[in-house]
Amino acid sequence: MAIRWPLFVRRTHKWLALVVGVQALLWTLTGFYMVVVHIDTIHGDHLVRAPASQPFDLGGLAAPSQVVAAAPGVSELRLQRFAGRPVWRAETPDGARLYDARSGAPLPDLTESQVRTQARRIYTGDGKIVSVRLLTHAPQEMQSRKPPYWQVEFEGWNRPTLYLSPQTGELISRRHALWRIFDFAWMLHIMDYDERSDVNNPLLRVATWSAFAMALTGAWLLIWSFKRRKRNKA
Amino acid sequence: MKRIRLTPLFFRRVHKWVGLILGLQFLLWALSGSVMALLDKDKVGGHGGGMSHAHPLPAGEYFNIAALPQREPVTGVILRDLGSRPVYELHSAKGVRLVDATSGELVHVDEQMARDVAAMMNDAPIRKVSVLAKANLESRDHAGAMWRVDFADAENSSAYVSLDTARFLVMRGDTWRTWDFFWMLHNMDYVNRKSFNHPLIIFVAFGALWLSGTGFYLLFKSFSRADFRWLRRKRKPVVTRSPA
Repeated sequence: MAIRWPLFVRRTHKWLALVVGVQALLWTLTGFYMVVVHIDTIHGDHLVRAPASQPFDLGGLAAPSQVVAAAPGVSELRLQRFAGRPVWRAETPDGARLYDARSGAPLPDLTESQVRTQARRIYTGDGKIVSVRLLTHAPQEMQSRKPPYWQVEFEGWNRPTLYLSPQTGELISRRHALWRIFDFAWMLHIMDYDERSDVNNPLLRVATWSAFAMALTGAWLLIWSFKRRKRNKA
Repeated sequence: MKRIRLTPLFFRRVHKWVGLILGLQFLLWALSGSVMALLDKDKVGGHGGGMSHAHPLPAGEYFNIAALPQREPVTGVILRDLGSRPVYELHSAKGVRLVDATSGELVHVDEQMARDVAAMMNDAPIRKVSVLAKANLESRDHAGAMWRVDFADAENSSAYVSLDTARFLVMRGDTWRTWDFFWMLHNMDYVNRKSFNHPLIIFVAFGALWLSGTGFYLLFKSFSRADFRWLRRKRKPVVTRSPA
């Protein structure tokens, strides 16, 4: 018996849709969210101020050799400002540390009140600080970063949260409601429900190729149905 | 005018017409998504840091930065090691100056230096070195002039090294190039391959929502009890084979 192609293709399309239909719906829904909300907004660029670049007075600085000797394994020294005064930021295998750029003395870790001041300085909004905590375990939204860090939460519908380094006070990351929704949408999009980062997982591979086959059979049906219509009219 | 009746036939028509207009992109999304899921993300690379070499700074005296000729106000200083010698990066509104941190002499990032920096990231022999006035598609995340160092390896790797700072910028290989082509099909930014928030993709994504939405609805209308008869048919023989 000859295969009746239209019927066969329609059945394939239907059954593939039954298998990947929910996921195809999720792909278009999450994809729509990701294209509509601009990625700069997702990243929270509007929540933080870029540090102003002011010229440095290079006279009277502690010799870099002094800081190099004090910070074992240091690979990079940066002259920058902390709380208005110049500091050397030393990048070492154990993380970054600050040294007073005039005396060369190491700066102690930030106190909670310094963290509050620093967070206020960085944050562009007017909302009050709701909570300040020193975290030793990474929350879900900071999976990719190694603690410890300070978590500073501000009031507001989108729950803006800044993460600051306890050693240098610099901004490690910022999170807010739209980012959290994006992260959830991304998880659904790539179907990695644990780590939300493995774009090569077998489930995704099977689902994407099934969706491709579904789309291909759909395209075939489409061309076929429009051709048939033309024939009927003629 | 005829009132629109929300019958399965109406949704089937919406499904068909949206499919006709945006179906090709839906197909391309499915295809590019499939290929990107297939390409090994470690081979694609290029995402996230941890790629650059960090050399510990040597002990000893460094050139006094206050004694350097100051052409313009310095807004930032970075002391680092190139692997062969320590250098200062002097940042100003005009750009970056690279200075030898022991002699205080200006450092020009020449071809040999670009080769040395690139060779730290890849052991394969170097095939070709060229200079770019600005980033190409492969190094689009970085600004300024740069060296491109091509390697003779299976991936046809290219390393990009900053012309201003001698910093290693990024490594790109054939797997990344394939990935990037499909990423372009996915994000529909055919010129810069970078943005996925432009009007075209928003429009098409909105249409695709209708395609998948009506399709999902039609699933409930297209399947009948008869479609699942084969499930019952399979079970029957088990029953008849029960002890007689």
